[in-house]
Amino acid sequence: MRLLGFNSTNSTNPINPMQPMQLMKPALQKIYVILGKQGDKQLERLSQMLSDLFSYVNLTSNLYFITNNLTEGMPQVERIQKAASVFLRDNLFARIYVHFIHSIPLETMKEIDFYYQYYYQGWKRVTREFDLEAYAHQEMPRLMLLPVIVPHNQVHPTALTGLLDTLRSAFLLPSLYLDRGTFFLTEDEVLSKTEKVYYGHGNSRETTEIVCDLCRQEILDDSCAMLGSGAVSMGMGTPCPAALIVSAQDGMVYPCMDALLKKESLANIYGELSVDAIMARYYEHGRSKRDCLGCRERVCESFADLPLPKATTHEVGALLCRFGTLYQETENHVQAIESYKKSLKLSPIEEAGHIYFRLGLCYTKIGRYDQALESFNRAEGTYHNQYYFYFYTGLCYFEMGDYRMALEKLSGAAYMKPQQDDLLKILIYMGTCYNSLGNYEKAIVELERAKEKAGHVKEIYNALGFSYFQLKDYNKAIENLRRAVEIDPYSAIDYASLGANYREKGDTEKAIAMYEKAIELDTNMNVARENLKRLRGKR
Amino acid sequence: MNVLLIEINPFAPASTPISLGYIASFLKSKGFTVKTLVLGQDTPMSRHGLYQLITSFQPALVGLSAYQRTMLYVIGIAGLIKSIDSNIKIAIGGPQATFMPTAAFAELPDIDYVCRSSGEVTFLRVARAIQNGTPFSDLAGVSYKNSHGAVYDTDELEGFTDLDSYPSPYLDGVFDYSCMKEAIMLTSRGCPHHCTYCYTPHAFKHKVSFHSIDRVIEEIKWIRKKGVRRLWFADPNISFKPSRSTELLDRILAEDLDLEMWLQTRADLVTSALMKKMKQAGVNTIAFGLESASERVLTRLGKHISTEKVAEAIRLAQSQDIEVELFTMFGLPYETFDDAVQTLEFVKKNKVKIMGNTNSQQMQIYFGTDMARHYEDHNIRPLNTNRPTYISIGSQYETDHMSYDEIQKVQELWRANSLDGGKRIVS
Repeated sequence: MRLLGFNSTNSTNPINPMQPMQLMKPALQKIYVILGKQGDKQLERLSQMLSDLFSYVNLTSNLYFITNNLTEGMPQVERIQKAASVFLRDNLFARIYVHFIHSIPLETMKEIDFYYQYYYQGWKRVTREFDLEAYAHQEMPRLMLLPVIVPHNQVHPTALTGLLDTLRSAFLLPSLYLDRGTFFLTEDEVLSKTEKVYYGHGNSRETTEIVCDLCRQEILDDSCAMLGSGAVSMGMGTPCPAALIVSAQDGMVYPCMDALLKKESLANIYGELSVDAIMARYYEHGRSKRDCLGCRERVCESFADLPLPKATTHEVGALLCRFGTLYQETENHVQAIESYKKSLKLSPIEEAGHIYFRLGLCYTKIGRYDQALESFNRAEGTYHNQYYFYFYTGLCYFEMGDYRMALEKLSGAAYMKPQQDDLLKILIYMGTCYNSLGNYEKAIVELERAKEKAGHVKEIYNALGFSYFQLKDYNKAIENLRRAVEIDPYSAIDYASLGANYREKGDTEKAIAMYEKAIELDTNMNVARENLKRLRGKR
Repeated sequence: MNVLLIEINPFAPASTPISLGYIASFLKSKGFTVKTLVLGQDTPMSRHGLYQLITSFQPALVGLSAYQRTMLYVIGIAGLIKSIDSNIKIAIGGPQATFMPTAAFAELPDIDYVCRSSGEVTFLRVARAIQNGTPFSDLAGVSYKNSHGAVYDTDELEGFTDLDSYPSPYLDGVFDYSCMKEAIMLTSRGCPHHCTYCYTPHAFKHKVSFHSIDRVIEEIKWIRKKGVRRLWFADPNISFKPSRSTELLDRILAEDLDLEMWLQTRADLVTSALMKKMKQAGVNTIAFGLESASERVLTRLGKHISTEKVAEAIRLAQSQDIEVELFTMFGLPYETFDDAVQTLEFVKKNKVKIMGNTNSQQMQIYFGTDMARHYEDHNIRPLNTNRPTYISIGSQYETDHMSYDEIQKVQELWRANSLDGGKRIVS
């Protein structure tokens, strides 16, 4: 028996994700550049390429430069920053945030003033024009450098907070990249001075790994934003915010993290293609045919065992629950169960009831009624005043053959004034339970109530036919079964039931006709075949 | 003729551009083809995208909403448009433009018109002049710069007093409902009061004009039909006429519109019965302007409302389980550091959550306010006298009673007490 669809469980909120002017190609929100030991020519090419790319970035955009060598990386970033300054001078509507992700050797860390003066003071000098412009317009500067520190795993928290203070006092708002080797730094004193924490999933600190972690964070933030806006049901399969990943080491350009991991590059910036041509490829091919839904889910799952703030952990739990719902909506109940189970571990206790209920529905769908009941029991505190909760619980007992318990739950559901359509389904199940328990009179009471509410449901007449047959009221049985085959002229079982009733009435010809019709519709119906043989033999 | 209207605010998510919507709808009704573009924090748009839009739509006129915070971006977009086609005329309007000094034209080389009167009628005059091929004839309500660079001011232009004379941007299909989470309603315009820090009374000459309740209900029904449930009433004082606000709420209830509403009004314009009705009709948040908890400061501001009255209004709302937001400011004239702390304490004492719009902000001195015109009389000392002429004093000042450092301290105090980091939604 299939699970009857109840209106009240359909919580999908239809949201159209279309944006105004959506026919325009999406602007790049972020560009990630993995710096390496490129020569002057290559650096020149990289700088030129980024200059040309600025026309394709969002009016407020973010550039990430990742290096594993601060001394080598800083001059490269300064050079590229000059190109950004030129663009911003010509385009007053644009803002660029430059995030520089680098580690700091322990020795340098101890000499914070040296570190600041040697590496960052020069930057502050060249961006002064934007600070002045911002002051004149009473706004934030349009060009900002935002250091992202990758701390050494031996660093002392006090030294780190000293560095963060120094950077903050120079309006260089610092963030941290923490991985398994430095999660011990997630203490209040450090976090209170940090703009943002990027979470590393491994501990190799390879630049490619760091870029992937930055992308993961972006995908998580984007998914959480969807969750907050209510657009999540439609948006989970949409691509992550438009971005490019450029490896300055080998010149390869990737349209997203998934492509980077699979080494599916769009182009080589050190080759012949212009930026316009690269962007044409990006828009035409780069982001199509990718498993964005799967990628988002993998990303969310990857945060499950990280020491995130409680609120973020809960958001990850909510996202995993959402993935469960998406699987459930596409009838992939096994996968949905996995997502719900993971979600349970991360979600706040007050959400557990909702998740257990959905889990119960999925177990019901795949026929694991004992596990479904276990889940429903855990959801009872949340759903004890919802009639559909009792319906589904009753359904499980019904399927497990415990008709008394099924009746208890279904009666409870019927008593709670369900919606009209749902009441009909409950009454049919109740009638069927009574039939199974041999209490045909009560079955008839419930089924006749159902008939009063809706005269077009075949199951009512089928079950009533059974009840009246058992009570030997063949005329009533025939009357109901006739109605059943009127509604569904292809119902072999109802023709066979008609045959049985005519047989019991002694109307052999009509019984034979009904059995023949049943076999015509279902050639495998052995019961009808045997009855037919017997009746023909009696002739 | 094609007209493009742009609202840019890179500091907040894109919202329904209600003012531009009215202008768009009005121009459409007069035969113009109008496109509206909102560039918010969350709008994906690049220079390339803007270029494509301008070259494909080919507007003859572009209108840009101007606010103090967005002037740099307005100038930047105007520059881009002129670099694409120098024949495209560019007008700015909105709060920053209305009272901007004419001398600012010197620093706005790509702006042709500064709209100063009622947006719809003023912009129509400009559009018609361009359409007729005489872009600087028969204008009113604007300052303009002719092709030789000479600057002229024109006479003021009165807008319609009956707001129903303007076609509805909601009913006209100007807005895209597919991604609208909240509809911004403007059922009335203007304010009769004399608060010295506020732009609205001067811009509307202390008059208030209204839409009929029939029109408002028609719009709300249409918005609901389109699947939007949340309404944000931008009226400065929605309960200015108590009988009108009661009628509006009664009609919402009678039509069973199932809404969630945010609205703002003066604390002395609410009663227990009105608040009860608001709750029934779906008002979940109400905002009052407290400004300061110091009666002395309030008197100096021309805000004739007692803190007791505000406290009473808060209690009325809270008793109906309506969330309260309080607009407050610091750095006010005659306000001492202790006065500013008193305001924070008032908010806490009255159990108003310090988040969203309740996050306080430093008073901003905008063009057109009494404070901007007579800042010396209010003992205000601007800190940056070299600012561009299109930028007003804003927050760059200190007062005789509070130094810049003290003002910063008050800001930190509010941030420390904020539940959401201190970001205010409405300026």
